[in-house]
Amino acid sequence: MTRSPFLRNGLVQVAPLLLCLVAWEVLARIFGSTHAVMPPVSTILLGIFADGNTLLRSFGRTLAETVLGFVPAAAFGFIAGALFARVRIAERMFFPLFLISQTVPVVAFGALVIIWFGNGIMSKVAIAFYLTFFPVTVNTLRGLRAVDQDKINLLKSFGASAWMLFWRLEVPHALPGIMAALLLGVSLSLVGAIVGEWFGATVGLGIVLVQAMYAEDMVRLWGAILLCGILGSTLYGLVAFAARRWVWWGGEI
Amino acid sequence: MLARSAWIALGLLVIALVWEGAIHAFRIPPYILPGLGDIAGAVAVNFAPLMRGLRATLFVAGVGFAAGTVIALALVLAIVLVPAIEKGLMPLVVAVNSVPIVAYVPLSLIVFGIGPASKIAMVLLGAGFTVFINALQGAKAVDQGAVNMLRSFGAGPLRVAWLLRLPGALPAIITGLRIAVVRSMLIAIVAEMLGSHDGLGRIIYEATQQIDFLRVWAAIAVASVASMLLYGLLVWIDQKLVWWK
Repeated sequence: MTRSPFLRNGLVQVAPLLLCLVAWEVLARIFGSTHAVMPPVSTILLGIFADGNTLLRSFGRTLAETVLGFVPAAAFGFIAGALFARVRIAERMFFPLFLISQTVPVVAFGALVIIWFGNGIMSKVAIAFYLTFFPVTVNTLRGLRAVDQDKINLLKSFGASAWMLFWRLEVPHALPGIMAALLLGVSLSLVGAIVGEWFGATVGLGIVLVQAMYAEDMVRLWGAILLCGILGSTLYGLVAFAARRWVWWGGEI
Repeated sequence: MLARSAWIALGLLVIALVWEGAIHAFRIPPYILPGLGDIAGAVAVNFAPLMRGLRATLFVAGVGFAAGTVIALALVLAIVLVPAIEKGLMPLVVAVNSVPIVAYVPLSLIVFGIGPASKIAMVLLGAGFTVFINALQGAKAVDQGAVNMLRSFGAGPLRVAWLLRLPGALPAIITGLRIAVVRSMLIAIVAEMLGSHDGLGRIIYEATQQIDFLRVWAAIAVASVASMLLYGLLVWIDQKLVWWK
């Protein structure tokens, strides 16, 4: 049996990464001191296991903040985008402002959100919500609007109702863009949750990062960075998987 | 038929009216939502420190953005000339990029200190990734037939890159720059929040700790206007430069 091309491709992809990790490990062992900025990879991994309980709880907390903000934001963003698409005047007046507001450094509002919602989980959920809501609304409206007029006329000529036009033609047309917005949103939600924790929280990966920084505990800091990466790529992977599975016709993703 | 800008002005007016109206109608306390006049007043009162902060943030964001762009474009050029580099580089890029950029901020502060260097490093990374991914996508999307034709006229890889790939990739590069400029401001501010001597992020963080909400609003207003102007500048450059799109 020959080795599958899938396996070989996988090896080609992972090899450079493994090489770097090995180089990191070896160099850190040779040149490292106890306070080295880059402790050996094995030490970092062992550190994660040694600190398992706290890190797992922090991981779960940040995950909860991200998901609790992300899911309703996706729903509300879709509804808001659909409403914008229906009400022309609202679109003309507010949509450009909506677009401009995308350029605002949104995470800065995190400070205000903490003032509004306090130190608990709600403030981080609110930040994650806000960061996802915007791109979803924008891409929903764009997608609904960009439908070919000929196709609309064709369906109308067959007697399609507005409701059918919306669900059978406009929504499928908008879905690839919406999925792209969800991919952006899930990454931003995580950023929002982490930064939100900096302003005040007791559990969460953002807090672990900051505490490790103040203690200059490099092993813990790298462990937290690694966990942030795992959390981010898992969430991103799930949304990307959903996009490929259910919105396979999209060309924009 | 109203002009586009008139509609936008109308929208701004409606938002301002709803904002002020809500405050009066529901007696919203200023720490939840201050009046627009109060925010403008806070900007005026704190104008000198805010401008100092803005200058520090713009410096950090600008240097990081420029350096990140140059490095990203150099890497893309290297990949275009020597495609093998991509195979080795991409897994690392994906691995580093899978961590949300803000998670690196504490590390950067420890390594590069509390001064501007740590923020510049973060902006460089964030802006660099954005430009790199967009530019690479643009450079690879070039019509292979056109490449073959240029090659058959005796053009080397460098000439193909200059004559064909750069103009072809320019729209994608500028899209990347547009996203990157907004990200640069954001990353600079977030990094300043965590540890810095100055900058808008520092002002926002300090004001939050002192529960001086008006100063938070003022700093956010300044940061937002600056971001919008920078974005507008890039949109303008886009329209001037990429006329063939």
